[in-house]
Amino acid sequence: MTGQSLAMQTGEAARAIRQRWAEFPRWGIILGSGLDAVAESIVCEQTFAYADIPHFANTTAMGHRGELLCGKLAGVPVVAMRGRFHLYEGHSARQATFPIRLLKALGIGRLLISNAVGGLNPHLAVGDVMVIDDHINLQWRNPLTGANNDRLGPRFPDMSCPYDRSLAERALAIARAENFVCPRGTYVAMLGPTYETRAEIRMLRAIGGDVVGMSTVPEVLVAVHAGLPVLGLSTVTNVCSPDMPVTTSGPAVVAAANRVQEKLCKLVTGVVTEG
Amino acid sequence: MLELYDQIQEATAVIRGAWDETPHAGIILGTGLGGLVEQIEVRQAIEYEAIPHFPTSTAISHRGRLVCGHLEGLPVLAMEGRVHQYEGVSLKQITLPVRVMKALGAQLLLVSQAVGGMNPYYQPGDVMIIDDHINLMGDNPLVGVNDDRLGPRFPDMSAPYDPSLVAKGLEIARQQNFVAHQGVMVAVTGPNLETRAEYRFLRTIGADVVGMSTVPEVIVAAHCGLRAFGVSAITDMCLPDSLQPADIQEILATASVAEPKLRALVSGILADEAQTIHSSRKI
Repeated sequence: MTGQSLAMQTGEAARAIRQRWAEFPRWGIILGSGLDAVAESIVCEQTFAYADIPHFANTTAMGHRGELLCGKLAGVPVVAMRGRFHLYEGHSARQATFPIRLLKALGIGRLLISNAVGGLNPHLAVGDVMVIDDHINLQWRNPLTGANNDRLGPRFPDMSCPYDRSLAERALAIARAENFVCPRGTYVAMLGPTYETRAEIRMLRAIGGDVVGMSTVPEVLVAVHAGLPVLGLSTVTNVCSPDMPVTTSGPAVVAAANRVQEKLCKLVTGVVTEG
Repeated sequence: MLELYDQIQEATAVIRGAWDETPHAGIILGTGLGGLVEQIEVRQAIEYEAIPHFPTSTAISHRGRLVCGHLEGLPVLAMEGRVHQYEGVSLKQITLPVRVMKALGAQLLLVSQAVGGMNPYYQPGDVMIIDDHINLMGDNPLVGVNDDRLGPRFPDMSAPYDPSLVAKGLEIARQQNFVAHQGVMVAVTGPNLETRAEYRFLRTIGADVVGMSTVPEVIVAAHCGLRAFGVSAITDMCLPDSLQPADIQEILATASVAEPKLRALVSGILADEAQTIHSSRKI
């Protein structure tokens, strides 16, 4: 990590945004698969295609658009990333997390990260939303590898609590008030792009994972490095059950997906407006 | 990954120039299965160096040539010698031959390797038919921009080893009266063997045997739609509480005990395929 040039690149990207949008965002939001309803509830003041932002990579993932939305969510100034960079696309962990450095440079105070996951914990069902309490990094990569720039963060970031407890409590309180199930759990990040084998699913459950995905962890590592409190929300889009094939019906999936949009909107809007 | 397509075309053209048949199966011969080549009615053997973009092997006991011929009446392509991740070659290059097999028309990938046994019920010289795997190689051959001409972005991995071929392999072993286990292989990078603590860890996460190959090739087979059959020769036992220093000569000697069993499985699977093709032609 040539820390110096990372700081310079971040500054350049931030200036490009500032030229067209002068607000100071309170929150940064990474919209994973299935958060379109949240994107639509943002009153957009400026939109930037990733291709137009200096030093941004291009997304190749299906269902992921690449644009930065700047505007207000329920009156709160936010910057939201529609589409993110995955390591399986061939981006280095450092490239993939460059947007987090940019959001920090734009002045966000908190980061909300969402993702779509496979459920490992047998108590999880398709359509459940889980608040990420902790993670396991099985991606074999770390965005902080390389020389450290002490102005961006510490050499050895503490990982005793990468996901902010009070933000998690707030999300859980909203779920209780809105009367839907919302457990806390551990997210395991795999490199992908292959889905997990049955043997891998058993392993991931055995080592303490509740859900499995292919993103989020690099972004959270950089957020912690940069001193940003993080709230992570996972949507269970399929259930990984190695010993019993699960059959799903089309209408059930559609119903679950609609219900998820509603739940995520309530959580995101609720948490963002409270702080 | 977009550069792969042209590389595959170039390698395929060279092989086609030397051998014009359509292979039914591609065979990758790991440590201990090299002797299978003697059973192949060889029509053509091409050194890896002569095939564009083919990675070349440096490992002990691995030759580097592609054998084209017939086995059990079916046209096959056999890789005598393979390249491993620990040799410093990227997984994309290591697995290019699998994509070339597919491009030449193969439907089946038969892959063999030498492994360490961690399941205490296994014995040196036994074979294990791979039912499933755990990838701990720290990498994946499909990382990068996906080329949709080669396969899907997110390949399903619920059954990377064809369940009907696993069942057929077990049946062949029963008929020929030798032990064949069915289990989970974990792939690590190597080249060092595992510590006692690592063996305990790998056993805990659900693996029966540990090896340094095969998983990248099988991931690519799943990506490009080849049915895969994997078989491991257990060349030494890796029991952490009575672990002996590994001896490469002893490992190769044990591999030669397992070799006739591996041959029987590969030949048996191909004979069954030949029979299926034959009877479907009759109808």
